[in-house]
Amino acid sequence: MANETPAPLVRHASGDHQIDPRGPRFGAAITLVLAIIALILGASTAGVVLMALLAVLFVPGATVGPQATLQAAIFKRVVRPRLSAPTQTESFRAPRFAQQVGLAFSLLAVVFGAVDSPVGFFVFAGFVAVASFLNSVFNFCLGCEIYLLAKRASTRNA
Amino acid sequence: MLIRIILVVALLAATSLAYAWWSRRNGAVRIVDVPGALSSETLGAERGFRATFVQFSTPMCAKCPSTATLLRQVASEYKDVNHIEIDASQRLDLARQFDIMRTPTVLVLNTDGVVVARMSGPPSVAQARAALDTAPPESAPYSI
Repeated sequence: MANETPAPLVRHASGDHQIDPRGPRFGAAITLVLAIIALILGASTAGVVLMALLAVLFVPGATVGPQATLQAAIFKRVVRPRLSAPTQTESFRAPRFAQQVGLAFSLLAVVFGAVDSPVGFFVFAGFVAVASFLNSVFNFCLGCEIYLLAKRASTRNA
Repeated sequence: MLIRIILVVALLAATSLAYAWWSRRNGAVRIVDVPGALSSETLGAERGFRATFVQFSTPMCAKCPSTATLLRQVASEYKDVNHIEIDASQRLDLARQFDIMRTPTVLVLNTDGVVVARMSGPPSVAQARAALDTAPPESAPYSI
């Protein structure tokens, strides 16, 4: 199963490393579970530690890309061999931006949890839960959509 | 803790509802009335005699290749309907002229190159066929 011929690739811009879209989706499922547990634990020490763990997990994804995360390593070793080859691949850039958003929001949740603000903690941990929920359950990457809108807004007036 | 559990469930339920509403709007055919026609020269490819699907894509759009395949398939089922794919990041002039906010966005041109409908988000086969109803064969009267 691991020896199937890869899906035909369309021509991509050079330097636009392609990834299997199911990888980040699997990573989002793991994020979702951790975020839900953190939300239920609330702004207690346990909850804050869990969000801090989530932030640490986001760091390689935010700097290099989702393919560098621990979740991606698990996906490659455990999940991917059981799946057929991807029919389509995607650029790593938009999912990497989504990881950066995840990192920012989980750090904010940690900060609000550390200063004992349950509302702030719930809001930012809630954002992480909502985004990872949409990604893992509905295959909708909220960060990616924002990235594309931001790119369009930032290009110079043609 | 119980109230937090309830809040989490409510949050995810509300998210699901919002997503369901959003995804229903995907690919919905909107009748529009945009003055000015698009010529084949502007588009860089031949328009269809009856109608044209003009798809705006970007290199990083996950659903664009499948939408292009779907529209090409639907176009081939009808006489004189073409599909043109435009890279919105290369043709910023057109993207701004038609206010392309997301990709894929598909404009439907009639026989004169006037935009008569628009679909934002990846359309289904049924939606793509419905879009062609805005440019019926009777509207392309000249035949040899």
